Amino acid sequence: MGTVNASGQGPLRHGRDASLHFAHRLVILALVAGLFMSLGNVTIAAVGQGLGFALAGVTVFLTFRVLGFVDLTVDGAFPMGGAICAVLIFVGISPEVAMLAAFLLGMAAGLATALVDIIFKIEGLLASIIVVTAAWTVNLHIMRGQSNIPLLGKETILSRHSGDFRAWVVDQYGAEFRRHSTNLLEIILFGILVCIVLVILYWFMRSETGLAIRATGENPQMVRATGINHQVMIVIGLMVANGLAGLAGSLVVQQFGFADVRLGLGLIVRGLAAVMIGEVLLRPRGIGQMLVAAVAGMLVFDISRAWVFSALDLPPTDIQLVSALVVLVALGLPRLQDRWQVYRKRRRARTE
Amino acid sequence: MLTLDDVSVAFNAGTANEIRALQQVSLSVDDGEFVTVIGANGAGKSSLFNVIAGTAPVDSGRIVLDHADITWWPEYRRSQMIGRVFQDPAMGTCPGLTIRENLSLAAIHGRGAGLRQGVKKDQDAWFVERLAHEHLGLEYRLDSDVGMLSGGQRQAITLVMATLIKPRLLLLDEHTAALDPHAAGQIISLTRELAESHELTVIMITHSMQQACMLGDRIIMMHQGRIEFDIAGEERRKLRPADLVERFHALEDDAEIGERDRPGPARI
Repeated sequence: MGTVNASGQGPLRHGRDASLHFAHRLVILALVAGLFMSLGNVTIAAVGQGLGFALAGVTVFLTFRVLGFVDLTVDGAFPMGGAICAVLIFVGISPEVAMLAAFLLGMAAGLATALVDIIFKIEGLLASIIVVTAAWTVNLHIMRGQSNIPLLGKETILSRHSGDFRAWVVDQYGAEFRRHSTNLLEIILFGILVCIVLVILYWFMRSETGLAIRATGENPQMVRATGINHQVMIVIGLMVANGLAGLAGSLVVQQFGFADVRLGLGLIVRGLAAVMIGEVLLRPRGIGQMLVAAVAGMLVFDISRAWVFSALDLPPTDIQLVSALVVLVALGLPRLQDRWQVYRKRRRARTE
Repeated sequence: MLTLDDVSVAFNAGTANEIRALQQVSLSVDDGEFVTVIGANGAGKSSLFNVIAGTAPVDSGRIVLDHADITWWPEYRRSQMIGRVFQDPAMGTCPGLTIRENLSLAAIHGRGAGLRQGVKKDQDAWFVERLAHEHLGLEYRLDSDVGMLSGGQRQAITLVMATLIKPRLLLLDEHTAALDPHAAGQIISLTRELAESHELTVIMITHSMQQACMLGDRIIMMHQGRIEFDIAGEERRKLRPADLVERFHALEDDAEIGERDRPGPARI
């Protein structure tokens, strides 16, 4: 860090350097991902899908990393948001309202987990399993007993613009880009939405409440000692986090063109993978970088999974196995690297 | 002013393992008073703190702080009036947040967290001024994570946090016990400075007879859940650590004899 002068310039400059390095890493990651995509014949659909799921990665980041709360509620909040969104769009309500409803319902799921944890003093993991189990039935009821609701021909935020956008793409870049126009639209719309959410979330996490939520995850005792009710912070944190999961569910449902009660299956693994891939590859410092890393991690996860699929020419049935392996590699590589370094040190010591 | 009325706490009540942590303790601490509490392990010092801070419920009795009956207030609500420094340096601060962020949280004290920016630029001067009093150089390191600091530095930060907004009562729970002698000395002199300059009402637990005699204007010695000695005024001024040690041992010896029903000379 070097010397630090009285005006506080030292630490500030250090902070700016760190974020510059983060930006460098982000750009390099994007270039490498782009290279992989063009070499491995991965279409930009993977990026669109990653952006659809990205906010669920942020959910896992907020619960596991910020709040220190082992929360699986995302597995229930995500399809719940998707279900309510699909039902509302199906009956002709505007997609914006449907997405807001998805966010609110996700928050309700988070609230349920928080209350089970606080009132009955049931540990977060178990509390969220209880809520996810109940959410399955709730989701089926929201979907009026159907396990699948197609949105064919209904107005979603994507379908609303897809016609005009396709015409514009063909006009600008020629007919061969026609088949990419839907994916491109997804990336633009979802990208803007995710960015807006990240900016709001960044502001929120730096507010007094956000600061207290972050402190609650690290040291609830200290939060109580500063006169803040740490349980309220757990409630707010879980509600915001799972609200985002609901919102992500509504995005993915509009992207897929249908809602399915099984949509959230294994989502927690995916979210954890996103958070950890982001941490390993980008080494974020500070809440803003960490939020960006969680989103980037989700994109990397989707791209690398698509790449594995196309490279090995696998059938769609293998998707869960490939997901698990991608997570394993992402988590295991740094550990293996550590072991490799210890091994090298030991060998060097022996030969000297 | 803090008043405890006949406060009792028992663990495992009604069983063979019943432990009476506090037995009808009554205590009154005036505004601006600095009270040190000493006693052997299990004497009830920590229980006394827990019932005042609200981390443990009382079985009977009443606790009044500045005319407010806080007996059944939750811990976080009492913390709006009571500042605390713990024995474990890791307990009073958040390691993953910067010094500035930790102090910003302490600055919320008693208002409730809202949606205003957590870190406010105009508070920096205030933080720097308060940290500068410690002479630890922490005022130049507002952006450092607290996790990077030593135990002594963390305790200093916790002290500043607990007194950033003047508390009605400051509770110090053996807050130098986990520190090396040098750091402990620094924290003790900082404690004295803060208590004097802000005219704080302080209750401090300590195991060190020197500290008990050095600091404060009243000494309370606890034993088996009771207050055995309450030394203040002229008697307190003349008290030396050796006297205190003598009284401490007398108390312990009496207890052993009493417990074993064995008259005769005190055991060594």
